[in-house]
Amino acid sequence: MFPADELNVETEFAVDAQGVRKRFGAIEALRGLDLAIRAGEIYGLLGPNGSGKTTFIRCVAGLLRPEGGMLTVLGGAPSAAVSAGRVGYMTQAAALYGDLSVDENLRFFAALQGVAHADERIVEALRTVDLLDRQRSVVNTLSSGMRTRVSLAATLLHRPSLLLLDEPTVGVDPLLRQEFWAYFRKLAASGTTLLVSSHVMDEASRCDRLGLIRAGAVLAEGTANELVARAGTPDLESAFLALAEAR
Amino acid sequence: MNGHRVRAVAKRIVLGFRRDRRSLGLLFVAPVVVLSLVGAVWGVATERVPTVVVATDRFNFPAPIVDRFVASSAIHGRRGTFEEGLSQLRDGKVDAVVWLEGTTLHIQIEGADPLESGSIGGAIQKALADTLAGASVLLGGGPAVQVDQLYGGPDYSILDYLAPVLVAFFAFFFIFLLSAVSFLRERTTGTLERLMATPLRRAELVLGYLAGFSFFALLQAIVILLFTVFVLKVHYRGTLATIFIVEAVLVIGAVSLGLLVSAAARNELQAVQFVPIVLLPQVFLSGLLIPVDQLPDYLRPLSAVLPLTYANEALRSVMIKGYELADPLVLRDIGILVVFGLVMAVGAVTSIRREVA
Ligand SMILES: Nc1ncnc2c1ncn2[C@@H]1O[C@H](COP(=O)(O)OP(=O)(O)OP(=O)(O)O)[C@@H](O)[C@H]1O
Ligand SMILES: [Mg+2]
Repeated sequence: MFPADELNVETEFAVDAQGVRKRFGAIEALRGLDLAIRAGEIYGLLGPNGSGKTTFIRCVAGLLRPEGGMLTVLGGAPSAAVSAGRVGYMTQAAALYGDLSVDENLRFFAALQGVAHADERIVEALRTVDLLDRQRSVVNTLSSGMRTRVSLAATLLHRPSLLLLDEPTVGVDPLLRQEFWAYFRKLAASGTTLLVSSHVMDEASRCDRLGLIRAGAVLAEGTANELVARAGTPDLESAFLALAEAR
Repeated sequence: MNGHRVRAVAKRIVLGFRRDRRSLGLLFVAPVVVLSLVGAVWGVATERVPTVVVATDRFNFPAPIVDRFVASSAIHGRRGTFEEGLSQLRDGKVDAVVWLEGTTLHIQIEGADPLESGSIGGAIQKALADTLAGASVLLGGGPAVQVDQLYGGPDYSILDYLAPVLVAFFAFFFIFLLSAVSFLRERTTGTLERLMATPLRRAELVLGYLAGFSFFALLQAIVILLFTVFVLKVHYRGTLATIFIVEAVLVIGAVSLGLLVSAAARNELQAVQFVPIVLLPQVFLSGLLIPVDQLPDYLRPLSAVLPLTYANEALRSVMIKGYELADPLVLRDIGILVVFGLVMAVGAVTSIRREVA
């Protein structure tokens, strides 16, 4: 394991991206992306389809290596934070083993993260996503919203310092969505940093700060109120449109 | 390297197949079906009793001995002249004509099918041996004909020779296919991406796959061996443990090759297309059907790099000849298989880039 003091070397920012570039062949997915996420805040990554949200999150999760710029995660290289088990990544599509039960899936991810009291944590995570009664169900037999919830549960087991949630509430019903956000808020209050991508403006307004990205670059960064004030529009949605046009 | 994580991956694979009935069927039922077919086709080949014309005009043995020979249970004996015999042979009404020339017994057969030819020759030799064994008194202690085989024997069928290599072939084929498809699924469903965002290392992932699939390969080997020994009554010698060791090292190569192939394929259909490329050369060049020393020179080097060549040699040595694990030939084959497995495993590890896309 890692020495405790190494883990505690924490900069003010949980994620610090400066001029991050990533291209896939001819497509420039990230063109010098700058953003900084403070420890313990909920940061909303907002942007249209193909703007580079998932690409950026994958860079933070150590799955993609940026070609340019600087990216620090929890005070070090992304892969170091991931290897230390300090990052939880919920992929955009619920990536689970369909032939395994909910319990078996969670037990597997708990083992990979070296979770000590797996039984308790699994129950706790399932209670959070309100699926305790489906613990024995085979994942293939769940509805797609339920799978999304199991996918979130799998991300919470090891209590990561940094949670990367790529559109976590897509396909989740409104009531549960409320509960999710209440839970995110609780996590943030206990010191967890959350990076949440979304298209939904109503969700965006629940974030501490927002980054509006388009075509792989940050258009504007700030709280929802700041962004609305800067654009001089009545609400966030029109602020986003106005800011996107201003560029 | 973390044993818990390796074990978790292995367990995940085993659990996954528990509910995947079709793949389990592929793994355990398919070999049994194929072996039954092979058994039905080749298992009784030497038990066929050929019809033989004894050319009495060219068979100057004492009459009682000729009687015994014609009456032997190993053949359907008939009397006739040499000319009659030959014409019946050409018409396909009989399988062989025998006659004596000096002290040499001649057997004339049709010879279009080498498998058939061997079994006819064997049956006639057996008939002759039976006859002479009981007739030495009549002959006044004349020379008895005796045919000894180093391995096997007249009651060995082609199935006995095929069974050992089929064990290896099934293990390689199914485990290769299943590991390629499982890992491809891991890529396409996004679980690989998820795994790579945990502390799991690539080498741990590959080791977990090796352990998980070895479990199935050994179970499969048990099923195949039990079926061939107790149902098909295949003769075999050698210790079970040695057979499993050969099997296990072969499977390391098969799983790793599967992972490598899955890196080159975009979908399951493409992965399946690798099957003939990987398997067909091994069917023809590994000694499975054609002995390696009967291959043309220019094909030998190809045969020498195929893992099944060594698995076949080792398993035949153990199961037919009864060689021990400590035998230099068996050890050499196992060593080569280990090297192949390691090279493939390292290749598999490097093929899983962190950049999953
Ligand atoms: N593996 C890849 N290979 C090639 N191009 C890619 C790859 N991943 C992303 N891209 C491209 O990079 C750009 C950004 O994609 P990304 O998935 O980051 O968008 P996104 O903001 O997450 O969109 P969405 O809201 O639809 O999820 C797109 O143009 C996409 O086509
Ligand atoms: Mg996306």
